[in-house]
Amino acid sequence: MMPPAQPLAQPSPAAEGVAVLDDPLEQGRFTRWVAGPGGERWAESSLQLAGLHCAACSGIIEQALGRVAGVHMARVSAAAERATVCWDPDLTRPSALIAAVRRAGYDAVPDAAAPARALRLQLQRQALWRLFVAGFCAMQVMMFATPSYVAAAGELSDEMRRLLNWGAWMLTLPVMAFSATPYFAGAWRALRTRTIGMDVPVALGIAITFIASTGATFEPDGIFGHEVYFDSLTMFVTFLLGARWLELRSRQHAAETLERALARLPETAWRVAADGGVSAVSVQRLHVGDQVRVPLGQAFPADGVLEQGDTQADESLLTGESAPVPKRMGDSVVAGSSNVGAPVLVRVLRVGGDTRLETIVSMMRSALTQRPAAARVADRWAAPFLWAVLLLAAGAAAVWSVIDPSRAVWVAVSVLIVTCPCALSLAAPATLVAAARGLARRGVLLQRLDAIEVLATAQHIFLDKTGTLTEDRLQCSAVLLTPGAVAQGYTEASVQALAASLASWSTHPASRAVADLQPGQTDSGDWQQVHEVPGQGLGAQDAEGRAWRLGQAHWAGAQAPLPDDAQAPLRADAQAPLRAGAQAPLPADAQAPLPADARLVLSCDGRLLAGFVLEEVLRPGAEQAVQALQRDGVTLRLVTGDTAERARQLADRVGIVNVLAAATPEAKLAALIELQRQGHKVVMVGDGVNDAPVLARADASLAMGQGALVSRCHADAVITSSRLLDLVSARRTAQRALDIVRQNFIWAGTYNAVCIPLALVGWLPPWAAGLGMALSSLLVVANALRAGR
Amino acid sequence: MESLYVLIPLSALLVLAILGVFGWAVHKGQFEDIEAEGQRILTDEAPAVDADQDP
Repeated sequence: MMPPAQPLAQPSPAAEGVAVLDDPLEQGRFTRWVAGPGGERWAESSLQLAGLHCAACSGIIEQALGRVAGVHMARVSAAAERATVCWDPDLTRPSALIAAVRRAGYDAVPDAAAPARALRLQLQRQALWRLFVAGFCAMQVMMFATPSYVAAAGELSDEMRRLLNWGAWMLTLPVMAFSATPYFAGAWRALRTRTIGMDVPVALGIAITFIASTGATFEPDGIFGHEVYFDSLTMFVTFLLGARWLELRSRQHAAETLERALARLPETAWRVAADGGVSAVSVQRLHVGDQVRVPLGQAFPADGVLEQGDTQADESLLTGESAPVPKRMGDSVVAGSSNVGAPVLVRVLRVGGDTRLETIVSMMRSALTQRPAAARVADRWAAPFLWAVLLLAAGAAAVWSVIDPSRAVWVAVSVLIVTCPCALSLAAPATLVAAARGLARRGVLLQRLDAIEVLATAQHIFLDKTGTLTEDRLQCSAVLLTPGAVAQGYTEASVQALAASLASWSTHPASRAVADLQPGQTDSGDWQQVHEVPGQGLGAQDAEGRAWRLGQAHWAGAQAPLPDDAQAPLRADAQAPLRAGAQAPLPADAQAPLPADARLVLSCDGRLLAGFVLEEVLRPGAEQAVQALQRDGVTLRLVTGDTAERARQLADRVGIVNVLAAATPEAKLAALIELQRQGHKVVMVGDGVNDAPVLARADASLAMGQGALVSRCHADAVITSSRLLDLVSARRTAQRALDIVRQNFIWAGTYNAVCIPLALVGWLPPWAAGLGMALSSLLVVANALRAGR
Repeated sequence: MESLYVLIPLSALLVLAILGVFGWAVHKGQFEDIEAEGQRILTDEAPAVDADQDP
C-alpha cells in the first residue's frame, strides 16, 4: 500500500479524474517499484504524452517534471511520445506528475502497455541482430565463394580452395549457431507436437546443406564430394530472416497503433457518500449498493437501477439499437452504455465480471478459442512436400547404391539441397507481409496475416448497421412546414434558423441533427429559460415571451389548449400530410409511419409550425462499397440489434437484401455458426461491443476504427479510416496477394520439377544447383513485393 | 599468394569483430529512431558537438 502522503494541494474539480490515478489499484497499471540508491522504495511510472510537436518539447517536459518535489528522474522520448518518471512515493503522487505536464502545456495519460513494449523492443532488436549477422556473413561468404565460380579449371590450387572453403565455413558458423536458431527451435517444437510446419523442411534443408558442405570442406574426397554450398545457405537464411523481420515490424506497428488508442485515463465513477458528498473513485472500487452520480455524456460505470432523474441511454455499442432508449426512475441501466439525457443518480446492482458488458466480453473470449483454425498456406504444403522430398532422396540413394555405391550419398544430398524449400517458405510470408504494408498505407491495419487469405476468398460478409454502415449520428433530411406556419409568414429558412438556434442548447443526438441545419452558427439566439425534458424535447421562451418547444410530436405539439387553426395540422400530423416546403419535397417513404423518435416538431405557444424528418447518416461510400462487393459476387448480410423496421429501411437504401434484425449478440453468433457449418467462410465487419463475439468467431474480422475497444483489440484488422470503401480495396489487395502467392508456388513447383530429375540422375552441376536456389529466392521476394503496391 | 593464408583468417576475425560492434549498437538502441536523427538538424536546439569539432 502507499504510505500516507503529505498533504497536497486540493485537486481542482477539473483534475478529479486524474486524482483516481493515486489509487494504488490504478497505479499498478503503469507503475513499477524500483530500489533507489539508498535502498529506499521508488516508483517508476510510464506516461503517454500528447501535444509534442518538436524534439525541444521533450526538454520542456523533463524540466517541468523535474521541478515537482519528489521526482528523482524524468526521461522523455519525443519520438515515442512517452515519459518515464522516477519518483518518491513519500513526497508526491502520480496526479501531481500529470498536473505538472499539463501546466507545461502538454497532456499525459498513464501508459499501461510499457512492459509489453519493452518485450517487443527486445524481440525487435534480437530479430535485427540475427538478420544482420546472417546478411553480413552471407556477403563475406560470397566473397570467398567467388574464386571457385570464376576460376578456370586448374587455376585454383587445391590448398587455396580448401583455405577459401575453410573461411566460408568459419563465417557460416555464426549463421547456423545464432541466426538460424528460430528455425531449428520451430522445427523442434513442431516435431514434439507431432505436426509438420514449414519450419521442419527449412531446418532440415539448412542442416543437410551445412553438414554436406562441412564434410566437403574437411574431407574433399569423402562421401559428400568436394562442393560446398555455404553461399547459397547463408543467403537463403538471410532472405528468410529478412521476411521474418519485416513481418515482425508490421505486426508491431499494428500493436503500437492499438496501444495509442488504448492509453487513456482510468474509468472514473462519482460515488455519492452517505453524507451526500461526491468523490471520484476508480470504477474497480465500486461495490454493489453504491450510489453513483452519472453526468451527462458519460458512460454508466456499472449495471444498476435509476434512483433519481429521467434520462436516455445510448446503448448502441452494446445492442446495436441506434436510437437512445428512454430510462425512467426505477429502470435498469447497463454498464458501458452512455448517458445522453440528463445527469442522474444510479444505484449499483452488478460490478465487474457480472455486468452485461463483461458477459459479452467473456462470450467473445470463448468464441475466439473456438474459431475454425485457418491453416497457413505454406503449412498446408509443408508435410506433403517434406515426405515427397525424403522419399525421392531415399529412392535415389537406393537406386544409386546399386549402380554406383560411391555416389549414392552424394546424389541423395544433392536432391535434398536443390529441393531446398526456399520458394515455398518465402512465397507466402513475404507476399502477405508486403500486402499488409500496402494495406496499412491505405488505412487498414492487419493484426493477423492469415486474415488476408480469408478476406480474399470469403463469399459471405456480415455487416453491422449502427456505426459500421451508418455513422453514429442523425441527420435532418427534410423540414416540413404546416399550413399555419406558412400563413404566418414563416419560410423554411427562418424555421430552420429558429430551430437550429434552439437545438444548439442541447447535446442530444436529435438536437444536434437539427442544429447542424445551420452549421457554424455560434449565435445561440435570444432564448430564455431553456429547459430540457429528458425523452421529450427542449422548451424555451423567446424575447417576446412566447413559449417554444422542439421535441416529440405529442409533447411539443399538444401542451396547451390549442387555437382552432392548429387543430387540423396537428391531427394530420400522425398521418404526415404536412405541407412540404417548396425545397423539401416529401420523401417517398414519409408516407409510411416513421418511428416516433425519428421526427421532431417545432411549436410556438402550442401552435405546430414545422416537422423535422431525421434519419441515420450513411457512412460516405457505403452504397458504392455495398454495390462493389455485390458485383464481386459476395453475399452481404446486414446483422443488427436495431429494430426490423429501421434495419429494413436502411438495407433498402444501400441495396442489401438479406437482413437479420433485432438480433442479440447470441443470435448473431448463431447465424454465423450456422453459415460456417454449411462450409462457408464468413467475414464480419463491425464496431460495437455487441459485435465482439461475432468478430471473434468469424473466419476473418474487421473492426471500424471508431468502434469499441474490445472489438478493435480482437479483430483481425482495423479499418482506421472507418471508410467502407477501404473494405473493398482491402479485399482487392488480398486477392492480388493471393494470386502472387500462387504464382510463387507455381514457380517453385516448376523449379523443383526441372531440377529434381537432373539431380536424381546426377547431372546437376553443384554450382548450378546453388545458383538456382539463390535466383529462385530472389525471384520470389521480388514478386512478393508487388503485393504491397 | 602466401599472404592469403594470413589475410583470410584475419578477414574472418574482422567480420566477427564487426558483428560484435553491431550487436552492441543494436542493443544500445541506435537503430530504433532512425527518422528522428535526420530531422534533428531542423530543431532549434543546438546539436551536441564533440569538443574537437568545435570551430
